[in-house]
Amino acid sequence: MIECSNCHHAMLEGALFCDECGLSLWDDAQTHISTRKLEDESSEFSVKSGWGTATFQERNRVIIHIRDAAEPTTIIPDAEFVIGRRDANSGAVPDLDLTSFGALEKGVSRLHAALRRGEEVLSIIDLDSANGTFLNGQRLASHVPRLLRDGDEIRLGRLVLHVYFK
Amino acid sequence: MELAQDYYTILGVAPDAPAEDLRSAYRIAARRFHPDVNNAPGAALIFRDINKAYELLSDRQRRREYDSQLNAQVDQASNLEISVQYSRLHLQPLDEPQLVYALARIQPMLERTLTADAPLNLCLVIDKSTSMKGSRMQHLKAASHRIIDECRDRDILSVVVFSDNAEVLVPAQHPDDPRRLKAMVSTIQPGGATAILQGLRAALAQVERHRDARYVNHIVLVTDGRTYGDEEDCLRLASEAHERGVGISGMGIGEDWNDHFLDTLASKTGGSSTYIVSPEMVSRFLRERVRSLATAYAERGQILVVPAAEVELNSVMRISPDPMEMSITPQPIPMGMIDGIVPTTLMLQFHVSTNGADIGEFFLGRVDLGAEVLGSASGAERTVRDLMISVSKEVHEEEPPTELLDALSKLILYRLQDRAREDISNGRVVEGTHRLENLATRLIENGQEDLAQAALQEAQNALKTSTLSEEGAKRLKYGTRALLPFAGDSDD
Repeated sequence: MIECSNCHHAMLEGALFCDECGLSLWDDAQTHISTRKLEDESSEFSVKSGWGTATFQERNRVIIHIRDAAEPTTIIPDAEFVIGRRDANSGAVPDLDLTSFGALEKGVSRLHAALRRGEEVLSIIDLDSANGTFLNGQRLASHVPRLLRDGDEIRLGRLVLHVYFK
Repeated sequence: MELAQDYYTILGVAPDAPAEDLRSAYRIAARRFHPDVNNAPGAALIFRDINKAYELLSDRQRRREYDSQLNAQVDQASNLEISVQYSRLHLQPLDEPQLVYALARIQPMLERTLTADAPLNLCLVIDKSTSMKGSRMQHLKAASHRIIDECRDRDILSVVVFSDNAEVLVPAQHPDDPRRLKAMVSTIQPGGATAILQGLRAALAQVERHRDARYVNHIVLVTDGRTYGDEEDCLRLASEAHERGVGISGMGIGEDWNDHFLDTLASKTGGSSTYIVSPEMVSRFLRERVRSLATAYAERGQILVVPAAEVELNSVMRISPDPMEMSITPQPIPMGMIDGIVPTTLMLQFHVSTNGADIGEFFLGRVDLGAEVLGSASGAERTVRDLMISVSKEVHEEEPPTELLDALSKLILYRLQDRAREDISNGRVVEGTHRLENLATRLIENGQEDLAQAALQEAQNALKTSTLSEEGAKRLKYGTRALLPFAGDSDD
């Protein structure tokens, strides 16, 4: 249980607002973290474009949250950015190598999928992977680009990634 | 008609999964929704589909036939997409229940250029009871005239008026002769009581005459009073309308109508309800409502939100396009029209028990959406989405997604007014008043000075009279609810 600092109402773990007095428990938590962090957070809030937007501009970067990974990965995709698993034997060298995230066990192909930059948009293309690329739970047809949106979930075989535009 | 891709997503496997994967996926899925394990509303429906899918896919011959169908259709695969944000991606293994929010966003996958042109089969149902006399009826007539003028050739319009009885003023027709239709509307003479059931019955009969899957079939009810004795029948009629693909929206003018009833009525069809404070606003709201119908992408939407056995679904709130508390039983939940431009977003609240859960992936529940796409040959579309987070012993400092926080910060305002109203109507005046004061504080933080004033005013009322004023209660309810849609998502 957690307690509201304003009215001392007890709430379940994971509550973000006090349902008794409406206080934001999240803001509250923020003030106990270092000031620098708070500034980072607020600047991120202000530049972050709306969730679900398909607009991906020149200066945007992609933040990839790999499930169960400690840290997110930031990438600046080129015209075509290949995601997969590095393999010395076949000489496959993807731009983003997921080997250290259990790619082999989770069925990620060597050259699994690619991000492609278009005019103010970013698409994902399945590169005929063995176990498929899924966007928000739906399997992509191979080599058919699909528009990515901020906040989308990508699954490569059984490896789950969340992408955010920043 | 069901879409080919269903069976694989229902089982949660890739279309090229080998037979042994199918078997293990079937076991996992069946265990999650088996009636002996999971008694959540809707679980039995999902269990049935899982069995159907496995039965077909485990038969090699039938699977082959099915795959060739699938390959032929791959590009027309379900166009409705569900993306989900979670308040947290990692749970800690605890002995106590935990709270998880998921914000589900439903929108057509393709960035197709939708040009607000779905043809309408619309019935206006107008309350002409005595209380509508004067400026209410004047403004309503003017608003109806505007609607008639704005109808396009392909639309179908009917107008029903009711007091003690209903009368079909304008039978369902294309608006070929708008002047004649407007003249008919001008003849309305207010008088009598409010018998909503009569009006709705007549309206449904008019919409039925031209009901067609290519149209947005919809009834807009405008009333200013309470209907007596026939509320239950009205709700049954609304459920029937939903099953036939007819939506109902309610608009209440003034203070005297029953907001709880009108909300429930609309929600039976996934429609919306609106509070019209003053008669001058009738035209704006009515026209907005009608215009928003034309941006429909699909109709007859319904959604199953079925939690895992160790998870409880507490509430489903539609955040946009029309904010509305959705009733979570029975399932599936009526969603009605799915807008093609404004994404449909739902806030789902779960209580989760991690007792006995393994470290690793955690299955929260399944969202299963079905709808009928307007003007599409394939008709029914279906999208299944499993909600997955994880259980981890490490402490993760997670920043909840901005949009989810934003929606929750508004939702808490709506919940505060709801609970204050409940407190006061149950005689807990002190608690209720206190909550209204808290609400006022949060409203000021959100820059809503006017609503904050209204909340303080009602707090004073409650202290004096132990009740809320009808007007104040409605103002707070619909005022806080209107704050819910994300800035930028609304097209007005």
